[in-house]
Amino acid sequence: MSLGYVVSLLYQYVDTIAFLLLAALGLMIILGVVNVINLAHGELIMMGAYITTLTYNRAHLPLPVCMVLSSIGVGLFGMLLERFVIRRFYDDKLGALVATWGVSLILSQGTLLVFGPSMQSVPLPAWTFSYGDYSFGGYRLVLFVIAIAAVLIAWWVFYYTRLGVRTRATMQNADMARALGVDTRHIYLLTFGAGSALAGLTGALYAPTTTIVPLMGSQFVDVAFITVVIGGGSNPIVGALTSAALLSLIATPLASTLGTFSGRIGLLITALVVIRFLPRGISGYFQDIRYRHMARVAS
Amino acid sequence: MPASTVSDGLVVLGAKDLTKSFGGIRAVDHLDLTLARGELRCLIGPNGAGKSTLFGLLSGLHRPDAGHIVFKDEDITNLKPFQRVRRGLCQKFQTTRIYRALTVAQNLVIADRTPRSSRRKNGRLSWALSTLGLDSEGEVPAGELSHSHQQWLEICLALATEPDLLLLDEPTAGMTPEETELTAQFVVNLNRQGLTVLVVEHDMAFVRYIAQRITVLHYGRIFTEGSLGEIESNHEVRRIYLGER
Amino acid sequence: MAREYTGFWRVLNGPQEIGRGPVFWCLFAFVALGLLGYPFFGSVFALSNLANFCLYIPMGLGLALLWGYNGVLSFGQGAFFAIAGYVYGIIAGNLLDIPGGTLLAAVGGIAASAAIAAAFGYFVFYGQVSNWIIPLLLLVLSLILETFMAQTAGYQWRVGSVLLGGYNGMTNVPSLEIGSANFGGASIAFYYLVVALMLITYLGLRLLVNSHYGHVVVGIRDDVERTRMLGYNVALIQIQVFVVAAALAGLSGILYVSWGNYINPSSMGLLAATLPVIWTAVGGRSSLLAVLLSTVTLRWLADTLAVRGGEYAFLVMGILLLVTMLFFPAGIVVTLARRWLHQKSMYRDLKQNGAP
Repeated sequence: MSLGYVVSLLYQYVDTIAFLLLAALGLMIILGVVNVINLAHGELIMMGAYITTLTYNRAHLPLPVCMVLSSIGVGLFGMLLERFVIRRFYDDKLGALVATWGVSLILSQGTLLVFGPSMQSVPLPAWTFSYGDYSFGGYRLVLFVIAIAAVLIAWWVFYYTRLGVRTRATMQNADMARALGVDTRHIYLLTFGAGSALAGLTGALYAPTTTIVPLMGSQFVDVAFITVVIGGGSNPIVGALTSAALLSLIATPLASTLGTFSGRIGLLITALVVIRFLPRGISGYFQDIRYRHMARVAS
Repeated sequence: MPASTVSDGLVVLGAKDLTKSFGGIRAVDHLDLTLARGELRCLIGPNGAGKSTLFGLLSGLHRPDAGHIVFKDEDITNLKPFQRVRRGLCQKFQTTRIYRALTVAQNLVIADRTPRSSRRKNGRLSWALSTLGLDSEGEVPAGELSHSHQQWLEICLALATEPDLLLLDEPTAGMTPEETELTAQFVVNLNRQGLTVLVVEHDMAFVRYIAQRITVLHYGRIFTEGSLGEIESNHEVRRIYLGER
Repeated sequence: MAREYTGFWRVLNGPQEIGRGPVFWCLFAFVALGLLGYPFFGSVFALSNLANFCLYIPMGLGLALLWGYNGVLSFGQGAFFAIAGYVYGIIAGNLLDIPGGTLLAAVGGIAASAAIAAAFGYFVFYGQVSNWIIPLLLLVLSLILETFMAQTAGYQWRVGSVLLGGYNGMTNVPSLEIGSANFGGASIAFYYLVVALMLITYLGLRLLVNSHYGHVVVGIRDDVERTRMLGYNVALIQIQVFVVAAALAGLSGILYVSWGNYINPSSMGLLAATLPVIWTAVGGRSSLLAVLLSTVTLRWLADTLAVRGGEYAFLVMGILLLVTMLFFPAGIVVTLARRWLHQKSMYRDLKQNGAP
C-alpha cells in the first residue's frame, strides 16, 4: 500500500465528509430547532444549483457572486416556505413531511416544465495537484474547508451570540422560552431561512461538479437523510459532525472497493443498526448521558 | 371504617434490596418490600421519598441498579413492562393516560386481552363499571369525561387486564372530597373481592378511610410501617413530613 | 347503532370506518354488481383500463391501514410493489415451462416484499424510533433500489435466464396463469381477478380494523405507551401491520406485471413512492373507503393527464398533495363525508325538535 494510495483514501474520506456535512447541516439545524423534516430539502439544493447556473451563464456574474446569490435566494424562499406552509405543522412532524413532499414535487416538476430536462453547467475550477501516481481536484478540498467553516460558524452562532442563546432556549423548552419573552416564531423563521440558505449554498457549491437536472436533489437527500437519522436532532452540530465522520468512515472504503451502490446500501444498513440501539441518534444518546449525570429528583 | 383484610398470608410481591439512582440522587435506596396476597397497602411519604420511582421499578419503566423483584414466585426484574402486565401486575398512572379520542367502550375493548374463544365475563370489571357509573357512558369519547371519571376509567382499564396486583399512583389526584371518598370505598371493596392493591397517596383522608397497613417512605428507604393508628401517633413521621431532620 | 346488528354484521359495521347501515350496503352491493356486470356492456379497452386503475387498490388500502389506522407513514410502498414485481418476473421467467410457475412466482414476489418489510420493521419498531425516521429511511431505500436497478443493463445482470434490464426494465414477463386461465392485461379473467381481489381486500381490511386486533392497532396509533402498559407487545404488532401493508403493495405489484408484462426501475423510485401517499392523504387516511375511491380517481386523473400532457401529471399531484395537507388535513373525501353526515344529523335534530 503506497503512501499515494493512503493519501488518495484520505482525500476521498475528506471529500465524503464535506459532502455529508454540506448536504445535511441545513436539514439538521431545521430539525433540531423547528422540529420538522423538510422533504423539499433536495429541491432547495437544486434551486441553489439552478440559480448559480442561471446567473453565471445568463448574467455572466463571477462564480463566487453567483453562489452567494444562490444562498441568499434560497434562504429567502425558505422563509416564505416557513411562513406559508411549515407554520401549520409545528406539532405534526408527519404532516410537515407530507406537505413538504408536495412542495418538493411542485418544485422539481415545475423546474422540469420551465427549464427543461437539463441546463448548461458551470465550469469546474481546474485546481488539480498530484501526489505520486494520483492526481486530485483542489476544488473539493475547498469544499471541505467551506463545510468545516459552515459548522464553525453555526457553532459560534449557537453558543456565542444572543440569537444562539434564544435559539437553544427554544429548542429545549419552547413554552418556557416564550414565557421569558423569546419570539419563537421569529426564531423558527430565521432558522428555516438559515437552513435553506445552507441548502442553496450546497447546491451552488456542487453545481460545477455535476449535471444540472431538475431531480439532482435526490443524490444529496439520501445521504442527508441518513446523516440526520444517525446524528439525531438533539444537537445539530454535534450530530452532524459525529454522523458525517462515522458515515464517511464506513462509506469511503466500501465505495472505493465495491462501488457507489455498496457504499449507499452500507450507509442505510448502518442507519438501521444505529437507530435500533440509539433511537434518538448519536446526539440524542449524548444528551441522555448528560441528563443522567445531572441531578434529577424523583418523588 | 377499618376493613378486614382478606389476606391469606401468601407473598405475592417480594422486592429485595431495590436501588435506583438518577445522576447523583439515590431515589430508591436498598429497599425491601413484601406484599401478601389480598393485602391493601398504602405507601406514603414526603415529596422526593421515592414513591413514584418505586412504582416505576415495579411496573418495569425503570431498570433497578441493584435488587430483585419477585412476583408470584417469579423473578420479574428483567421483564419488560408489557410482560409484567401479562403476568398480572398492572399500574394506574398518576396523570391519566387513556385513549382520549376513542369512546369509553373502545377503550375497554382494547384493554381486554382475553382471547375470543374463552371470553368469559370479567365480573370484577362489570361491577366496577356499574359502581363507578361508567357503564352508561360507553359511547362518550374518553377525553370528554369529567376528570374523576377519567381517573376511574383508567382504573377500569387496569382491571380489564385481570391483574393480581394493582398499583394505584395517586388515584384521587384532582378529586373533590366526595369523589375521594367514593374512590376509597371502591378500592376497599375491590380489595374485599381478593385483589391485592398497593396505593401511593398524599390525601390523608383517603388513607384514613382505607386504614390498612401503611408503609412510610423517606429518602428512598422504608422509614416505618404500621397500622393507621401507629402511624398517626408517630412523631417521627410527622417530623419528616414537616421537613425537620 | 351497533346494536342493530349482531356478530359478523356488527364487526363489519364497526366504528372505525365511515359508511354504515343498510343504505350504504345497498349502494355497495349495487356498485359491486355493476362492476361484476361491466364486461357485458363495456369494451375490452375500457375493461383493461378500469382493471389497471383498480389493481392499485390493495396497495392504497395497505397504506391506509398502516398510516391511517396504525399511525406509521411509509414512503416505501412503491418499493414493496416493485420488489414483488421484479421477483415475480425473475421466478416466472425462469419457470416458463412449468405449470403453476407463475403462481409460485406470485407467492415468491409477495413473500420477498414481506420478508424485507419484516427485516426493516425489526430495526425500527424494536428500536422504538421517532415516527419521522421510518418514512425517511424508506425514501432512502426506494432511492437506492431505483438507482441500483437502473444500472443493471447488460447481460451480466441476470438471474437464471431472466435479464434485469437496467433502466428499461424487465420485459416479456409472463402473465399470471392459474390452471388454464390466463390473466393477461386485456382479458376478462384479469378484470374479474382484480375486482375480486379489490372487494376481498376492502371487506377483509374492514373486518380487521373493526375487530379487537384492529382496536389495538388504533390504540397504538393514539397512545403507544398506554398500549404497552395494557400488556401488548407493541413492536410485534407494528411489524405485523407493516408486513401486511407491504404484502398488499406486493399484491398490487404482481397484478401490475401480470397486466403489462413489464416492470422498470421507475416503479421503485421516488415518484412512484409518492403516489400511494398522495392517494391516502387526498382521500383521507382514516377511512378505507375514502382511500379506495381516491386511488381509483387519482389513477384515472394521472392517466388522463398522461394522455393530454404527461409532464403535468406529477405537478398536479404535488399541488393536490400540498392543497390537501393545508386545507383538508383529514382528506377530501373524509372531510366531505363528515360535513354531509353532520348536516344530516343537524337536519334530523331540527325535524325532531319540531321544525318544518
